[in-house]
Amino acid sequence: MTAAVETSPRVYGVIAEYDDPEHLVAAARAAHEAGYRKLDAYSPFPVHGLSEALDLRRTGVPSIVLIGGLVGAAAGFGLQHFTAVINYPLNIGGRADLSWPAFIPITFEIAILCAGFAAAFGMILLNGLPRPHHPVFNADGFDRVTRDGFFLCIEAEDPKFDPESVHAFLQSTDAKSVSTVEHSYDVAQS
Amino acid sequence: MATVTRRLDDISPKEPVIAPGQTYGSITDLVNDVVDQTERPPRFWLAVFGIGSLLLMLLLNAVGYLLIRGPGIWGINIPVAWGFAIINFVWWVGIGHAGTLISAILLLLRQEWRTSINRFAEAMTLFALMCAGMFPLLHVGRPWVVFFMFPIPSTTGMWPQFRSPLMWDVFAINSYMLVSAVFWYVGLLPDLATLRDRAWRRWNDAPPPERKLADRIRQIAYGMAAIGWRGSARHWHRYEMTYLLLAGLATPLVVSVHTIVSFDFAVSVLPGWHATVFPPYFVAGAIYCGFAMVLVLMIPIRKVYRLEGLVTMNHIENMAKVMLVAGLIVFYGYLMELFFAWYSGNTYERFMMQNRLTGPYWPAYWALILCNVLIPQLLWLKRVRTNLVVLFIVAIFVNIGMWLERYVIVVVSLHRDFLPTSWGAYHGTFWDWALYLGTFGLFLVNMALFLRFLPMINVFEMKHLLHSKMPQPAKGEESR
Amino acid sequence: MPQVFSPAMNAVARSSIIAAVFLAGAATIAFGALYRSSFVTQVNNPRPQTVPFSHRQHVAGLGIDCRYCHTSVEDAPFAGIPPTETCMTCHSQVWTDAPILEPVRRSWDTGKPLEWVRVHDLPEFVYFDHSIHVAKGVGCVTCHGRVDQMPLTWKANTLRMSWCLECHRAPEKFIRPRDQVFSMEWQPDEPQETLGARLLEEYDIKVGQLTNCSVCHR
Repeated sequence: MTAAVETSPRVYGVIAEYDDPEHLVAAARAAHEAGYRKLDAYSPFPVHGLSEALDLRRTGVPSIVLIGGLVGAAAGFGLQHFTAVINYPLNIGGRADLSWPAFIPITFEIAILCAGFAAAFGMILLNGLPRPHHPVFNADGFDRVTRDGFFLCIEAEDPKFDPESVHAFLQSTDAKSVSTVEHSYDVAQS
Repeated sequence: MATVTRRLDDISPKEPVIAPGQTYGSITDLVNDVVDQTERPPRFWLAVFGIGSLLLMLLLNAVGYLLIRGPGIWGINIPVAWGFAIINFVWWVGIGHAGTLISAILLLLRQEWRTSINRFAEAMTLFALMCAGMFPLLHVGRPWVVFFMFPIPSTTGMWPQFRSPLMWDVFAINSYMLVSAVFWYVGLLPDLATLRDRAWRRWNDAPPPERKLADRIRQIAYGMAAIGWRGSARHWHRYEMTYLLLAGLATPLVVSVHTIVSFDFAVSVLPGWHATVFPPYFVAGAIYCGFAMVLVLMIPIRKVYRLEGLVTMNHIENMAKVMLVAGLIVFYGYLMELFFAWYSGNTYERFMMQNRLTGPYWPAYWALILCNVLIPQLLWLKRVRTNLVVLFIVAIFVNIGMWLERYVIVVVSLHRDFLPTSWGAYHGTFWDWALYLGTFGLFLVNMALFLRFLPMINVFEMKHLLHSKMPQPAKGEESR
Repeated sequence: MPQVFSPAMNAVARSSIIAAVFLAGAATIAFGALYRSSFVTQVNNPRPQTVPFSHRQHVAGLGIDCRYCHTSVEDAPFAGIPPTETCMTCHSQVWTDAPILEPVRRSWDTGKPLEWVRVHDLPEFVYFDHSIHVAKGVGCVTCHGRVDQMPLTWKANTLRMSWCLECHRAPEKFIRPRDQVFSMEWQPDEPQETLGARLLEEYDIKVGQLTNCSVCHR
């Protein structure tokens, strides 16, 4: 209450908006080449070339899916083995207790189920979602990011971050507009 | 990436996958204006919702009466212990196959035209599976102890019999339902964020006294569902990989599901069921029926919601072609059934086929040939494939034909047992029909709610497609 | 600035997902526990009857044999609920004025049977035969508990399928000599394992067949 300085919002980063994906990709590449590392691009659809421009490589998703699939297959087969061989063997038409070919369909289904869940929930978790509040939503006109807006944000955490130079740099990349994004402490103001 | 990708839309370049003149913003508005409900819903929607609600009430009555009286109110009895329940189950599951086929297999095959129909078809899949799932659940007679069938340490001291195709079916259908739901939700995520932001924009632009509570509720509801999606490049990077992997996983899944459904029949020793052609023939039948249902729904909807720019004649024609191919595979299945019956030299097999063609249920068989084999041959003509009214009627015939196919398979094989002393007859009772018609209510109400509250076309994928179709001045700059 | 949610919502969103998973698990466990509780199974829950008939009084007090009333237990699937005549063999002579026995006398006068509340009620899809169990040496007490100590009758066991299977999978753990089937207090003189194994042989019990589905579900 008393200290007016504390209520002034911290800067999250500087954001630039572009008219089309091509300018966004060019700007992202330029920013990466200029040595900025804590930056992110925002677009209404996946823009090809952006991952390369930002030097994003591994997603981590395929290995999660593989693990999910293997765990699912093991669990599916294990369930059938435990119930039909160990816990309660049933004599069905004189077949062996471990009549494994008959166990394959369910093993397969559970493997796919677990792999699918691993893919979807793994992606959501790796992306740090759910995260309904994010400082970047404070940027002016950011609702266009789900419509036809293309944004590039250089974050204050970047070691090279300096408000004036980043502003100037983003202005030089054919941005439609450049503005500062602040952390908000009170959403009710908006 | 393959150097040569021949796409279906290359065949008819005059009809593009997106009509000219669309922009990112116009696509967004075209689809989302329907959901934003700025005006009253069209009469078509009210009619669908109204009729659906009436049928849903019929369903609730049919289920309620069934729970009070038991499955004796149905026409089933020995020897025909599987009647409408299994027929309708297989029929609805089949319809459900089109969604995953369109969203997964056509994605992997790089069929761009899938983009404007996949969301819709996936929703149809989920609702069809809900309808399908009801039938086995009710057919067990005591749905309240259905957990006896699950592999849980229950008080029966027993475990499910995992060597049975019926058990495989439980797992296949449930896996399919869950994976389809996850696939659908992942696809919806960016579009839910769009709806959140649109609601915020409307709310924010209005002067405070005129701000609508509805817009605030929509921001929060869609915002919750969108779990904070913000279109970050890092997120998109993982998202695309995930979507591709899900498509890769769903593809074998969708093929396995109807294969396993066909095992319900093919693994038994009954003439007319015990046939190796069943798995591919069932999968093709499912695609056939599913595409027919997509057409039946899409033809009126694109007209009412003026989506001709996104669901072009190219889409309609491609679906008709897929339907024709699937129909020919199904026809091959019918021919093989005839051939096997003769070639086996088995008395019971030959009798079954003779009975199917000329026995008491002959009208069902010949009606099925008419609906599934003869009428769809019209699809060879481009004039038919591009005539919406005729195509709509053909698709309805295919749906009826596929229902009759399951009727013939189930009833005709069962009603003549090996022993003539055990012969019987089967006819659906009022409650059989009420339950079947009632599931249409469940389906239509779900469909109407989906049209009202969620974008029926995958908007971000359409924008992506539009981007790839645009002349790209920065192309040279982009390549390294 | 489409900032719809406050920063606190991030924590709320995440914890609500964890809470939902936790609640679903807790609900499942709670349902399983309820399903096994005596609230649902009615085990150890004495049932009120029109006439508060006491097995303790008649069996332990007076020493009446089970078969005096449950006459068909050795020969039929159903053990038999005694008709009013059976009650009146004694109660026409003793306690003739007891108010508690008024319904019995009324039944005797009108010829309308007494209405008992069923304590052991198996589902219709189970075929159960008392006579075979008696013939193969399954004691009354094994399933019905110490009836001679029950003032009002209650279920001593759940009669759930897993409980049936305990014995059907390993009858040697439970069977006794035929002449001790109706005894309330019998204890084995030798280890149950050796006795059970001998009796299996003697009574020709084929354990492998006892868990066939059609043994109980016909």
